[in-house]
Amino acid sequence: MDEAKLIEGIQQGDRKSFQILVETYQRMVVNTCLGIVHSKDDAEDLAQDVFMEIFRTAENFRGDAKLSTWLYRIATNRSLNHIRNNKRKRFFQSIEETFTGGRNRPSEISENRADQPDQNITDQQRSDLLHRAIDRLPEKQRIAFTLNKYEELPYQQIAEIMEISLASVESLIHRAKKNLQEQLLDCYKKKCV
Amino acid sequence: MKTKCIHNDLIFYLDNELSVEKRTAVEKHIEECADCRSFLAFLQDGMQIIEKEKNPEVTPFFYTRLSARLDEKQVYQTQSQWSRLAQPAFFSLVLLAGIYGGLKLGSNASSPEVNQPATTSIQMLNDFAAEPIESFLLDEL
Repeated sequence: MDEAKLIEGIQQGDRKSFQILVETYQRMVVNTCLGIVHSKDDAEDLAQDVFMEIFRTAENFRGDAKLSTWLYRIATNRSLNHIRNNKRKRFFQSIEETFTGGRNRPSEISENRADQPDQNITDQQRSDLLHRAIDRLPEKQRIAFTLNKYEELPYQQIAEIMEISLASVESLIHRAKKNLQEQLLDCYKKKCV
Repeated sequence: MKTKCIHNDLIFYLDNELSVEKRTAVEKHIEECADCRSFLAFLQDGMQIIEKEKNPEVTPFFYTRLSARLDEKQVYQTQSQWSRLAQPAFFSLVLLAGIYGGLKLGSNASSPEVNQPATTSIQMLNDFAAEPIESFLLDEL
């Protein structure tokens, strides 16, 4: 079934068309969200929200852009909102901890790593380090870098998704890589892994 | 002679984004410089994390879960549509009943049938009619 018929079906509330759309694009949406939020469970929850939004707002889709472009836009926006909300929650938690003396703070690291062999700890540390470095990138650099690295999208498609010029995408990805490299170099010099 | 470290070019070297001349120069430098070689390996390990974690297997019940959420939302929307209509209607009825009750009570209070016994009881308590004040005062003396 082609995109136009799929969308037409969803606009009429056809669940079968919606199921085809979900099964076609679920991997892509989950992967995009994962690149930004770095947690598979959160990425799947966000992907569900993305498809709910698609079903709810299908009538607004005019077909000016590709369906995948629309999905990428919603997925990146939702993921960034999720990160902002988490930051806000952490801020209020830290205030609460200041007053409660940190009694409610869960010991995530010890729980997650208690039974892991050394090699896995190093992998986990490396993964945490990279995620932290990606999270420190400015939002636009992070989106461009994630779409390029996780989804392997060409610069032209990233430009369409982000609604910016091709030159801007090139510049964003170049700066993102430089920033990442600086952060990793800093860590390498301090021998933090 | 030791050449200057080229840490800043290594991420672009890994992504194959350097010109042929620069790439050759970087390769030559890496052969000689242990620090750059070590950082390149560190960088490579880090970037490989992305390759390992991308394209995860999606839960097989992804659509089933999504479909259940959609059903739930549709039921909720239908319920909320009803509650949107029912709530104002219910409160309007209560308000009308209140106004009607108030009017009814007001009209009962001002009707002569209600006032009559009260007047009678007041008349019964009026001792001045039975005994004038002059005779009452004379009795006191």
